[in-house]
Amino acid sequence: MKPQRNRLALAAATLAFVLALVLPAFVSGYGIRILNLALISAIAVIGLNFAFGYAGLITLAQAGFVGCGAYLTAILSTALGLPPWLSIPAAVVGTTLISVTIGLPMLRLKGHYLALATLGFNVSFVIVATNWKSVMGGTDGISGIPSLTLAGWSAATDHRYYYVLWLALAAATWIAWRIRYSHIGLAMIAVRDDEIATGAASVGVTRIKVQAFALSAAYAGLAGALFAHMTNFVAPDDFALSHSIIYLAMLIIGGEGSILGAIAGAVIVTFMPELMRDLGQAYMIVFGGLMLLILIFLPKGLLSLAGMVGRRLRIAGR
Amino acid sequence: MSQQLIQLIVSGLAVGSVYALVGLAFIMVNEATGVVNFATGQMVAIGCFLAVTTGIQLELPLVAAYPAALAAMALFGIVFYAVVFRPLQDRPVVTVIIGTVMIGIVIQNAALITWGSVPFRPRSPFGRQVVDVFGASISAHALFVIAVAFLMIGLLYVFIYKTAIGARMRAVAQDRDAARLMGIGVDRMFVLTWVIAGLLTGTAGILVGPMWFADVNMGDPIALKAFAAIIIGGFSSVPGAIVGGILVGLSEMLGAAYISSAYKDGLVFLVMILFLLVRPQGIFGERIGQRA
Repeated sequence: MKPQRNRLALAAATLAFVLALVLPAFVSGYGIRILNLALISAIAVIGLNFAFGYAGLITLAQAGFVGCGAYLTAILSTALGLPPWLSIPAAVVGTTLISVTIGLPMLRLKGHYLALATLGFNVSFVIVATNWKSVMGGTDGISGIPSLTLAGWSAATDHRYYYVLWLALAAATWIAWRIRYSHIGLAMIAVRDDEIATGAASVGVTRIKVQAFALSAAYAGLAGALFAHMTNFVAPDDFALSHSIIYLAMLIIGGEGSILGAIAGAVIVTFMPELMRDLGQAYMIVFGGLMLLILIFLPKGLLSLAGMVGRRLRIAGR
Repeated sequence: MSQQLIQLIVSGLAVGSVYALVGLAFIMVNEATGVVNFATGQMVAIGCFLAVTTGIQLELPLVAAYPAALAAMALFGIVFYAVVFRPLQDRPVVTVIIGTVMIGIVIQNAALITWGSVPFRPRSPFGRQVVDVFGASISAHALFVIAVAFLMIGLLYVFIYKTAIGARMRAVAQDRDAARLMGIGVDRMFVLTWVIAGLLTGTAGILVGPMWFADVNMGDPIALKAFAAIIIGGFSSVPGAIVGGILVGLSEMLGAAYISSAYKDGLVFLVMILFLLVRPQGIFGERIGQRA
């Protein structure tokens, strides 16, 4: 049954990705910007899924890593004049290195201790970005970040950039899929399910955790770098702790431990404020309340709802 | 000692004792109910704003305004128990963390709608009065904060360690099932714990109001310092919360004055992360056999 379900999910995912290719033709200027933000968030949340969904690490630092990627590419492409197609990979590598550096000592912590330590990292990132004016621009941020150009083709408009992001998300999804079923992915899940037994089976638990953490930061770095070249501007506010919480919320709403859930959650949560615009100030109250209800009644996320419906249909079809 | 240093130390002690109260609220809840409450900061903000309502908007005298606000916070604790704790109880740590974070968001935005985004400046019972301490002019409110915080801590100590109900609460914290078998009303102890958390955070909010502005976004920064305080002191230790709170308060004030005012919060988190890495059990250590 398992492989059959995988094939179904794969077919659905492929269909969604193909449909997404023609989507910009039907979406106007503002909508495409939101859509782009959803794709960027999806990359960050797929990354978070490695650390949280697979390895079970409660991290509240994802927005900080997105910020690392965004600021690295911003600094490299403005102060050093690197072209974006070089500064983006450099930002991903840089973010990964930062995550390994802080992950090696921090990942010895568990549960709420790890949550608090990563929270401390995210808060510290914003403090540094706000105060290190000479390099990170302080509250003014860094502006004048160049748009992506490849062989004379400029992705300066949101419509064009959508295809860049689509490609990036498709690649990120495919790579995540491959990792999920590789020995690394299986080891991560083993660590989450039973750390002691996994350690006893002479699998390096700390190494696996650092790998999951680094992968999640690499994805965050990519998301941040892509964000910086879309908005052409970065400022500390976009990478605050509240955004880390939103990323975690996206993953939980979609369904932790699932790549498609990560994407679905990112898209849903990004569009939620647009759908509930009439609520005005009350929006965040409704959002928080909805999240709590999902946590209580659908702990496996909205995708589990789709799974339940699917099972019903199969049973009915027999 | 220079006059400035004395002023810094007293204001550090005042802010630190507020962190200690918040840290204690956090520890009480975590010890008794096993819930890591990430909405603690928002409870402080609500406490502060309830005092704004009773003291400024209803213009009650402070002797009536403070008890009224605290009574409302006790009620708030009961509502929190019913609406948040009961459904999230016995869920995995991460569900509780995200759940209480979400409740914090709900509370913060409800406060925004209720009290607006313009900060209030709550009155102190001592106004702007200053007191002479070793030749330095010290704000009377700062001394009031330290006195009230330590009075609260003393009352809490007597309640937990010297009364029969306190003994029952400790029994529930140690082993919920055994306590239930012994005929202790476990659920009633949980309600009581949330009421105490409401009173501790409410007091913290009332005390901090006149020192800073009452701002709907004040919860997170206070909770972050209180987290840092209990990490430094020891996650489940009562003296740890007090010592940790005061250390954080002092390092915040002295760090801002002598090292860098921009990086004072970063300094606190640096110390917290160092403690997590080098001595995760904190200064006073964590009892063996904790829920992980």
